[in-house]
Amino acid sequence: MSKRDNLIFKGLHIIAWIIFVALCIEAGALLFNFIFSIFKPEVVKNLYQKLDLSEMYQFNQGIFYGIYSFILFIAVLKAYLFYLVILLLSKMDLSKPFSSYVSTKITNISYLTLSVGLISYIAQQVVKSLEHYGLVSEQLNPFWADSQAYILMSAVIYVIATIFSRGVEIQNENDLTV
Amino acid sequence: MPIIVNLDVMMAKRKISLNELSTRVDLTLSNLSILKTGKAKAVRFSTLEAICKALDCQPGDILEFVEDE
Repeated sequence: MSKRDNLIFKGLHIIAWIIFVALCIEAGALLFNFIFSIFKPEVVKNLYQKLDLSEMYQFNQGIFYGIYSFILFIAVLKAYLFYLVILLLSKMDLSKPFSSYVSTKITNISYLTLSVGLISYIAQQVVKSLEHYGLVSEQLNPFWADSQAYILMSAVIYVIATIFSRGVEIQNENDLTV
Repeated sequence: MPIIVNLDVMMAKRKISLNELSTRVDLTLSNLSILKTGKAKAVRFSTLEAICKALDCQPGDILEFVEDE
């Protein structure tokens, strides 16, 4: 393994940690807002990142809580996704990468990425359908703007996971060749 | 697995220890142990040749095919 690869890996590890902390803060803030909105409905005017869902709340509280649950669930899933990435980067040995641990983690990451993509896509479509009732949803777009990218990414990661699982088999065979 | 490794039988016949065989065939003890216990997935011809030379036997004396029930 070259020095450059080592440096790139360390850089990726640091970036993954930064993204993980940012996503945890976002998920925490959204969760705090969610709990707060149950007890004090006035805050729905000024939620996380100045999100104003008061119109939706007044229209139907069930819809508000449903959509907000989508946002919250996606945020938590994204944070967990990066937690898995950190685990993978910290436990991966670049000199001997084909281990069952790495293979399982990459497979889990691909499933989780697909879940984020699909849930984001479903949420996007649900919010779009609410436009018929006059509910403006532009503010919500940043939460699921990249749903297709996540679905595509999950497919790529799944291919890598499959290659890794075959690599683990070959590695085991090689280790048990006398 | 239907391929049985009879290395221990041949070693007993030739009255040779695992340590001695390991030195003669230039294989690590752990690798020889993998072979002896039947955990090995493959055997290199060079390894087989060295073992046959050290134990003065044929490959058929070490490897045996027994059909699964």
